[in-house]
Amino acid sequence: MALRLTCPNCGSRPHTEFWFGGEVEAHAARADSAAVAPAARPEMNREAVLEADFARVWLRKNSYGIQRERWFHHAGCRRWHTAVRDTLTNEVHDRA
Amino acid sequence: MIAPDNGRPKAPKASRLDFEGRAIPVAPDDTVASALYRAGVRIFSRSFKYHRRRGLYCLTGDCPNCLMTVDGEPAVRTCRTPATEVRTVARGSGWPSAGHDLLSILWRLRAFLPVGFYYKSMIRPRWLWPLAERVIRRVAGLGPIARDLPVVNRERLNHHPELLVVGGGVAGLAAALAAAQRGETVVLADEGVIGEGLAPGPARARVDALRAQLRRHGSITVLERALAIGLYQGPLVPIAGADRLHLVHPARIVVATGAVESHAVFPGSDLPGVFLARGAARLAGVHHLSPGRRIVMVATSDEAMDHLDTLRAQVARDAGASVVAVVAPRALAARVPAGVEVLHDGAVVAAFGRRGVLAGSDGGLRAVVVATGGGRRTIACDALVLGLGLEPRDGLLRQAVCEPVQGAGEVVSPGCTLAEAEASGFAAASPDSTIAVAGAFVWPATERALPPVASKGFVCLCEDVEAGELAQAWDEGYRSTELLKRYTTVTMGACQGALCQAHLRAFVGERSGGASRPTAVVRPTVARPPARPVRLEDLAAGVRVPLEYHTALHSRHLALGATMEWTGAWKRPSHYGDVEGEYRAVRENVSLMDVSTLGKYQIAGADAMRFLERLYPCHIADLAPGRSRYALLLNEAGYLFDDGLVCALGDDGYYITFTSSGADAAESWLREWAESWGYNVHIANLTWSRSAIHVAGPRTRELLAKLTDDPIDAAALPYGGVSAIRVAGIACRAIRVGFVGELSIELHLPTRLAPALWDALFAAGTECGLRPHGLDALKLLRLEKGHFIVGLDTDFDSTPAKVGAAWAVKMEKPDFVGRTALERLAKIPRERSLLPLSFAGPRAPEEGAQLFVAGAHVGHITSSRFSPLLGKGVALGWVRHPEGSPPLAVTARDTRGEVAGIVTRAPFYDPRGERLRA
Repeated sequence: MALRLTCPNCGSRPHTEFWFGGEVEAHAARADSAAVAPAARPEMNREAVLEADFARVWLRKNSYGIQRERWFHHAGCRRWHTAVRDTLTNEVHDRA
Repeated sequence: MIAPDNGRPKAPKASRLDFEGRAIPVAPDDTVASALYRAGVRIFSRSFKYHRRRGLYCLTGDCPNCLMTVDGEPAVRTCRTPATEVRTVARGSGWPSAGHDLLSILWRLRAFLPVGFYYKSMIRPRWLWPLAERVIRRVAGLGPIARDLPVVNRERLNHHPELLVVGGGVAGLAAALAAAQRGETVVLADEGVIGEGLAPGPARARVDALRAQLRRHGSITVLERALAIGLYQGPLVPIAGADRLHLVHPARIVVATGAVESHAVFPGSDLPGVFLARGAARLAGVHHLSPGRRIVMVATSDEAMDHLDTLRAQVARDAGASVVAVVAPRALAARVPAGVEVLHDGAVVAAFGRRGVLAGSDGGLRAVVVATGGGRRTIACDALVLGLGLEPRDGLLRQAVCEPVQGAGEVVSPGCTLAEAEASGFAAASPDSTIAVAGAFVWPATERALPPVASKGFVCLCEDVEAGELAQAWDEGYRSTELLKRYTTVTMGACQGALCQAHLRAFVGERSGGASRPTAVVRPTVARPPARPVRLEDLAAGVRVPLEYHTALHSRHLALGATMEWTGAWKRPSHYGDVEGEYRAVRENVSLMDVSTLGKYQIAGADAMRFLERLYPCHIADLAPGRSRYALLLNEAGYLFDDGLVCALGDDGYYITFTSSGADAAESWLREWAESWGYNVHIANLTWSRSAIHVAGPRTRELLAKLTDDPIDAAALPYGGVSAIRVAGIACRAIRVGFVGELSIELHLPTRLAPALWDALFAAGTECGLRPHGLDALKLLRLEKGHFIVGLDTDFDSTPAKVGAAWAVKMEKPDFVGRTALERLAKIPRERSLLPLSFAGPRAPEEGAQLFVAGAHVGHITSSRFSPLLGKGVALGWVRHPEGSPPLAVTARDTRGEVAGIVTRAPFYDPRGERLRA
């Protein structure tokens, strides 16, 4: 594997300098985790809340093709960025 | 820039080498193989299975015949190794020697050793197989591996050229030059030294001319004697140079690895004295050695006729040597000089070796049988040179899947002219022509003719697979190239199918019904790395440069005689020579531990409190400035992945710690959540800039009082308290902690001041019985308190409830990471818990001991120590209890027997925490 990623701070670097952080959808859903908390959604059926949380935590699209995903540049600037990668060819696009 | 990568520190240029005790003279341009051949060596190795004699055959690095042990390194291709760099050479296998090998009897016993015999025989009685396996392992193969070779640490070097060219022939050189002329950066790699293996002639002249042009281009990096190991996704091509591994990450690749002379299969085709034409030409034209005294040549192309000229030029200098006959098609007969017998349109069908082997004969070639339209002729000869055609050396090219790779020259059109090769290299280097090969490599539409199928003779020289053995495997039901490969190991040897692939496909094609054959059955076997034999030291290149973190106190530990151990990337003291003494110092006096490896972060900003409140499962909002709290870290699945302290600093936000192993990952965790929630927080990683010294023991205050005027009594710095104090004049953050169960204070301070503080504490502590303690003592100290270590005692799916830490999770909080998951998990009955166990016997069970209740397996022990103060073994272990409540008693079974224990309550030591809170 010789995947290279473009870090917005550090430029094009080999993927071994990064940690994979999962699909961007899971990242986005984290912002809403309070939405499934009981205090925030008293009207919502509790079972449905737990079901939605299970899907958020465990279910992934696992795309075949273009995927937006999170990478953490642990050996560089130590910041997150979002990359667009083709999971079939490992081609990385610079912009979303 | 020309940077031939042959910079391995060389032994002084030798004028002779040692071959199995014989001194062999060496000429400056010799390879090991040519030097041995000149000295009369004809048997270069013994074959893999049957111990047949094998002599020089291809001389292009493709066949296994010249593999020898060179300076202790096994299976070295001696036809490619310069003799002047070598001291000792030996043949790998053969008993008592490769020259006179009694194991060659195996060929006569072949009826008892069919393909796959080890799957069928010697299986019953059961005790037979282990014995048979030992014998087989000793008899088969390429010889033993020396176990005393020095460890070689190779470095790796990354290259990022626009173009990588593999192969420095005419096509490869043309491709490299074409790209360089466009201003592109190029890496050009060749297995040997470019041009050196070619006999004088038009090809050599063109290669030399193109090679001279390389110097004009600073953008071409030339790697010589460098093996392209494989073609990986990316693309990435690891290339094993003489002294380092090159990781080449090119934008495009041109594979110009050329072609290999077609292997011939007929009875006796593996005898010493049978050569492939390019090899014989190399022997004659480069090394000025005749392949024999009476030479028969088979020539089917103009190129082979050139080789005939080269051979004749050599034998003319060699009194008594001659080319006695040439087998050639009528179209080429005109090129055979007068005085040499020509047999038109014939084929060699058998070869015989010399008899009287035990009487001293070397068993080499004696005669060949040629079938022509006019019948069979037996011709006495001692060398047979085969120019039957060419097969692409495409092992690397066929690995290209969805990669920007282009083939050039003979690897795509074997037998092309020099001009065609040059044009094809030039074209292949163009960015426009490089195609991403979709799916597996597509074979040229015009399928090359496959060789005739022989019923006898060795199809595979590497693994000793005979034609009849393929037939046997076919009859057993292995009816495709891939199945035959797996069952007979054909194409799996050192040549990786370079010689045998075409014969395998021809065989399968014939058996499966000619034109109507299903294509999948005759497809070449899938090519995978390594394309060429690779050394383990190349695979490990670069990994023996470990990242080793030292704390600021590292030299202090070494001076104290510490035994260090790896903890993640850190080196930390296991002990200072006396684990129990270190343990007693903590329990009875005072002790120091370097805990600088803890993850240390400061969280500040307007939303710092809200951020941490939502991140941690414990309360943060009610934490008053100057107070700390133990906190678990849960992931979104509700599983425990780290723990640490949260200290409230007031206006400065929070100072939080993580375990040493979790310190690195903590940063990505903190930043991910801060970004997700959009909070206004600052996250500063202080892991490196702050060090920490843990001062523990009942005399901690007595020690610190000598060095500070600040109040450290129970009122000013109670258990859980945090305060800023000056110790030995150094400003520290003091945190009252409790991991080891004694009065203890962690002093956090700037890293550059840590040695000064350590020295001051040491100097002042002598009267208090101070000594440092390492990880071994720490593990006992915390175990007596029943504290788990995340990652050591916990699993990936440990919830707080399972490890007895539910008290640290406040489910009444509206939200924290993992909260909803814990709510979900609470509905599932808990069937497994980490429980404190105590063992009254004279010893504690070993860590990893299995736990049983009434003979049924229920779990295992994760931590176990014998407690000197309590006089019993204390442990933590995972216990399954599907019936609800855990068992009362367990039996631990380890390598030394069984130990009876009870499930108890933690802490074992100071259960009310009076010493801790003193």
